[in-house]
Amino acid sequence: MIHFREPIEGIERPQMEADVVIVGGGPAGMACALRLSQLIDAHNAVNPDAPLTKDNIYVLEKAREAGQHCLSGALLDPRSMRELLPGFETEAPIDGECTKESVYFLTRTGKRKFPFTPPPMRDHGNYVISINKFVKWMAQKVEEAGITVFTGFAASEVLLDGDRVLGVQTDDKGVDKSGQPKANFEPGYDLRSKVTIFAEGPRGSCTKQIVQQFHLEDSNHAQVYGVGIKELWEVPAGRVAKGEVIYTLGYPLTTKEYGGAWIYGISDTLLSVGYVTGLDYEDPRTDPHHAFQSFKEHPFLRDLLAGGKMVRYGAKSLPYGGWNSMPQMYGNGWMLTGDSAGFLNSQRLKGIHLAIKSGMLAAETAFDALLSGDTSSTQLAAYKARVDASWIREELYPVRNFHQAFEHGLVDGMVKAGLQQLMGGANLGPDSKSHPGYEKMRHLDAVGLTDLHRTQFLGQAKGDGKLTFDKLTDVYHSGTRHDDDQPTHLVIADLDICNNRCTKEFGNPCQFFCPASVYEMVETQSEDGGHLQKDLHINFANCVHCKTCDIMDPYQIINWVPPEGGGGPNYDGM
Amino acid sequence: MAETILVVVEQQAGKLNRVSLETIAAAQSIAKDTGWQVEIAILGQDIGAVAQELAKRKAAKVYAIESPQLATYTSDAYVYALREFLKTHTPKLILMPHTYQVRDFVPSLALAMGKTVIPDAVGYKYENGKLLFTRQMFQGKFAADVSFAGDGPYLATFQNAAFRGDLAEAGTAPIETLQVTVPEGIIRVTAHEIFKEAKQAVDLSQAEVIVAVGRGIKEQKNMAMAEDLAKILGGDIAASRPICDAGWLPLDRQIGSSGQTIAPKLYIALGISGAIQHIVGMKGSRTIVAINKDAEAPIFEIADIGIVGNIFDVVPALTEEIKKAKAGA
Repeated sequence: MIHFREPIEGIERPQMEADVVIVGGGPAGMACALRLSQLIDAHNAVNPDAPLTKDNIYVLEKAREAGQHCLSGALLDPRSMRELLPGFETEAPIDGECTKESVYFLTRTGKRKFPFTPPPMRDHGNYVISINKFVKWMAQKVEEAGITVFTGFAASEVLLDGDRVLGVQTDDKGVDKSGQPKANFEPGYDLRSKVTIFAEGPRGSCTKQIVQQFHLEDSNHAQVYGVGIKELWEVPAGRVAKGEVIYTLGYPLTTKEYGGAWIYGISDTLLSVGYVTGLDYEDPRTDPHHAFQSFKEHPFLRDLLAGGKMVRYGAKSLPYGGWNSMPQMYGNGWMLTGDSAGFLNSQRLKGIHLAIKSGMLAAETAFDALLSGDTSSTQLAAYKARVDASWIREELYPVRNFHQAFEHGLVDGMVKAGLQQLMGGANLGPDSKSHPGYEKMRHLDAVGLTDLHRTQFLGQAKGDGKLTFDKLTDVYHSGTRHDDDQPTHLVIADLDICNNRCTKEFGNPCQFFCPASVYEMVETQSEDGGHLQKDLHINFANCVHCKTCDIMDPYQIINWVPPEGGGGPNYDGM
Repeated sequence: MAETILVVVEQQAGKLNRVSLETIAAAQSIAKDTGWQVEIAILGQDIGAVAQELAKRKAAKVYAIESPQLATYTSDAYVYALREFLKTHTPKLILMPHTYQVRDFVPSLALAMGKTVIPDAVGYKYENGKLLFTRQMFQGKFAADVSFAGDGPYLATFQNAAFRGDLAEAGTAPIETLQVTVPEGIIRVTAHEIFKEAKQAVDLSQAEVIVAVGRGIKEQKNMAMAEDLAKILGGDIAASRPICDAGWLPLDRQIGSSGQTIAPKLYIALGISGAIQHIVGMKGSRTIVAINKDAEAPIFEIADIGIVGNIFDVVPALTEEIKKAKAGA
């Protein structure tokens, strides 16, 4: 019997009052906290008689240490950081400035360099960073500013009163795998806040709760996602220069799937290598981790990585949908920021600068709201107005149809995206619609079981232990840890669908889309000792918090909720 | 008359729980700030010696509350005896150490008195005539000052090591012995022998021989086969995660990155494929024997002796041979 995580019922929870609670300590959340602190400092300087306090502003972060759960390439467009902390370059952890970029199209064994770098992929002046290190540094700034960061505490539920968000409930600690309190049990807090700012990253669990409850998403413009798989490689010097950026399209994915790779030079001997697979593929056996492994077997990569060593692994989803897919981002007592709201430029494959900017704008809105004493939807609507008046709109609106152009494959997409480039982002007709990616997944019997063009990413990769790895080996290098004695945090509404219906219809794609071997179909003897049947086992302790399962499950019966705070990957230098 | 702080201390079998001294030190410190006086109460039977020991502290009085029914601790008797005592004594504040015993009886005592408890405080402050207690929140990331509303007596408990017991001031206090009779029917529980639950049933790091089971064992009933092998070798049984996950062995017998790390003289892996998560927990073993039907299993890369075969054929035969060898020896 699998016991799924849920808040323990019928207990008295400690209550805590707050002015602002920021859910999630990534770039958006930390920027939000920093901006709030700046505004309060400025206010107090001119109003010494009526100072505002920062004591009741909290950042909740489920990772044991700030930055541990963040994953990105990462390339930082410094625009928003320069606004937030002018001159940040002198003290922030930056690996290198991008001075050279190139784009390749890969065939199975060959490669063709684009004669010129398409404008959106020009990265001169951007910085190669480790998002873990960068966010950790931001967290220090936040704490120095006098704002409390609660690491190791997850927001597990949104506290609601009608259409008003009252705050969040933090995770219950010390609950065993059958849902019973252990000796170290500590109930989650009811953190009641005037303003709650969600900065949970892509597909945040609290964000999902309110997006569904308040119907915030436009059904014609559903959010669509990709999953990025990344490894850090130590290689002999001289392969890729520090600050060099390489993008590839094509192999191992075919023209039917959306995706591509990045290679960033962190130092002369350290490479960030990653592959993004769009979570809107048709074949349920598609395994994004396998795609990444096959990518590394391409002669181009084989040469780059030869004699090298994989040192870290991670995976994270990202929202592709762009401007039109962004849900309503404010309401009574709440705002959405960063990837939780879809602030990402899919054409440039960049979102960190937008996340930071959105966090800053949310902070400005929250500050005004606190001063006026009005935290209603009417007051917080100023957040959307700020976004519309900022360079975020200037950047995102012209590329609003970019990802959608690829809905029918790469060739069609290139033509449409090319046309959009000439027409200021518009299509020949109205703006493209978008549909949830899982809807495109087809039944096993409809995809053809012997598709020789796709074997390089169907099913799980075996790995040779040197250049390529099986999932468990990779997961080990994510450093992920969870207390085994706790309820399963991948909450499945109906296991019967997994074990009976999905097995027949889709062949349990969770085994393949999960990049961390969480989902496993295990052969077991039936009760009567007769025939063998396969049952879903959930190895939740392997989870790297990427949210792919929540996004891509074709029945939408998987709900990712935070495990006990502190659990999860231990990304370092990623 | 000055207000009184009553410290209820703890003894077991006539021996003072040392943490009691910390609470006395806390009370003395509060008394200094508030100008209140400290009294100490101890409950039990034949506790004269402990009362004598307590009388060597600076306090206004030591009450030895005795009753045959208090010889063995029960929450019912403690609550009854303390309530009887409090009918004639009205301290402003009742302080106790935050021990398991106190945690057991204090909620019912407070409820019976209609008073509030501030439990597990780590310190106090006396500001503008107001007594504040400091409590940790968010697992110690945060400290909150809380105070009592309404009238006393107030109840509070202090966390272990919040104050230094050796700093409790010495002095001489008169002892007053009070006899209480706990009527029939008050005690609703029978105390059995006191035992301590072993924290970990097995310390695998000390084991010389370990037989570890992986998913290849297939069914719970097959565990017996592995246990037989462990028994004949005088070893312990352990497992990789799936087995502990399934509840076939307790979690404290899990080997690997999320379990124990071990280095026995002999490690026998039955049906364990050898994912890196498991390997890191046992790779220091002196001799590794792996039995697995999959010749490609990564466990063979680190095994000193590898047997490619069905564990259901190999293990019983192996057990049998060891049995024979032992009998012959």
